[in-house]
Amino acid sequence: MIKNYLKIFSITLIITAQAPLDLVIDTNERDIVIEPGISGTKIVLFGVTPTGKRDIIIEVVGPPKNQTMQEKRSYFGFWLGRGKSYYKNVPSYYNLLSSKPLEEITNQEGLNKLGLGIEHLPLGKADIKYSKIKQSEFDQRLRSEMFKNGQFFENQSNIILRSGPGKVGLFKTEFSLPPNSLQGKYFVRYFLFQNGEAISYAESTIDLKQAGFARLIWLFANKFALLYGIIAIILSGLLGWVVSLIFSRYKLT
Amino acid sequence: MELYLPIAEISINPSIFLILGMSVGILSGMFGVGGGFLMTPLLVLLGIPPAVAVASEANHIVGSSLSGTIGHLKRKAVDIKLGNLLLIGGIIGSFVGIGIFNSLIKIGLVDLLITLTYFFFLTGVGSFMLYESLDSLGYLKKKKRKRAYHHSWIMGLPFRMRFKKSGLYISIIPPLIVGFVVGILASIMGVGGGFIMIPAMIYIIRMPTSVVIGTSLYQIIFVTAIVTLLHAFHNQTVDVVLALILLLGGAIGAQIGVKLSSKLEGPYLRVALGVLVLSVGIVMASDLLIRPEETITLIRGGGSH
Repeated sequence: MIKNYLKIFSITLIITAQAPLDLVIDTNERDIVIEPGISGTKIVLFGVTPTGKRDIIIEVVGPPKNQTMQEKRSYFGFWLGRGKSYYKNVPSYYNLLSSKPLEEITNQEGLNKLGLGIEHLPLGKADIKYSKIKQSEFDQRLRSEMFKNGQFFENQSNIILRSGPGKVGLFKTEFSLPPNSLQGKYFVRYFLFQNGEAISYAESTIDLKQAGFARLIWLFANKFALLYGIIAIILSGLLGWVVSLIFSRYKLT
Repeated sequence: MELYLPIAEISINPSIFLILGMSVGILSGMFGVGGGFLMTPLLVLLGIPPAVAVASEANHIVGSSLSGTIGHLKRKAVDIKLGNLLLIGGIIGSFVGIGIFNSLIKIGLVDLLITLTYFFFLTGVGSFMLYESLDSLGYLKKKKRKRAYHHSWIMGLPFRMRFKKSGLYISIIPPLIVGFVVGILASIMGVGGGFIMIPAMIYIIRMPTSVVIGTSLYQIIFVTAIVTLLHAFHNQTVDVVLALILLLGGAIGAQIGVKLSSKLEGPYLRVALGVLVLSVGIVMASDLLIRPEETITLIRGGGSH
């Protein structure tokens, strides 16, 4: 796949050298405008940290989306998906980035405390219909399906740390948002770890906005649904008619 | 080359969809079916969310059936008068079908209904057509010879009308009822209903096979136009970019299909359609009857925000 239209944006995170335990970041919200779908959008996060034995974990959580899980059961020998679990606020995107494999940065308890990792991502209360399955089981399957579909990620050891001038170190990480990423606010949490403990924390948001022709079509279909339907029918009819004209013009039929 | 579909919200390779559209288009022009019963499962297989697949497929069939109808009109193989009667029944039926559909959504039985309707009609219609056409070709033992005009009670119904193109002088009630029933089924299954309509036209209304295909395509244009409009208005699931790609292939395919259909004899055409419908039914049956690997799954495209 050719990655044309690759767009790089950056969020700056500054951890000052004078106060090594504080995270000072530029809290201005970043607006990112993308043309959806060409081949995804590459996002670069970078900043400054104190040097020494430091590790960084960054968590990115995308805007919420409705999701539905179904449970198939056998009715008179037919496998039918009647049982449903409706979710209202499932993050459409999740990414956990780290400078080392997670278990080398901190233990499971440390991650649990901060609510980091796919298994801690809150999915909200689901509305379960015609199924006796507990929500925890639906939740578990939803997490693994989102992971399999490439909407939830854990990019371990993806953050690169470099030593800079003096006591200042640099970090940089990049990841791609999938082509069908929802527009809206992406919440980013930054954690600085030392000896297995989180010693500093900062957060920022990325506001993803979609632009381009595909976005216009989507807006038109949603804002002027009836007119869109009529135009869709006319376009389809017109194309069918033109093709049949071409065929009869050149006596192909 | 990659292309982004604005409503389906995925990137696709257009050439695959062009070829797919063309193959289904050939079948459409040949048999007079819209091809929705084939195309919809294939689109879902290629990653299009089911709701978008059904709606965009209806939009695509508008154009491909128009292209096919024009081809058949040139051969004078469309009975517009009879087609209009079927259409009137069909429109009333599709509104009744949508009513049934919505009340079943409330009690959570809609998926069950769709799957079972698909299964029974594909296997039922497919095996019946195959049996009948093989029988008329003389491949099966003739235990009981059918009388040519045994539909005496159908013939005896009032409000008779002459249909010149079909060479029929029959009551208008059977076409209206056939249209009505197909309309109900079509709106529940989200397809044009050609594969149910065609056998009904041949075996119940007794239209000549040569006129059946063009007439079926003619009424499918309008049925799918209504379905497209309803989906666009209520669900915003019509992907016009997807529909036009499929159509570009499909309209060309339909023209080729029309040409092929005039070269094949009626019973052979029905054998081919019977085999096709039956095999889609069997594929669906295996999905229904075999225990799934995972019983709990995510429904793709299950509501966007």
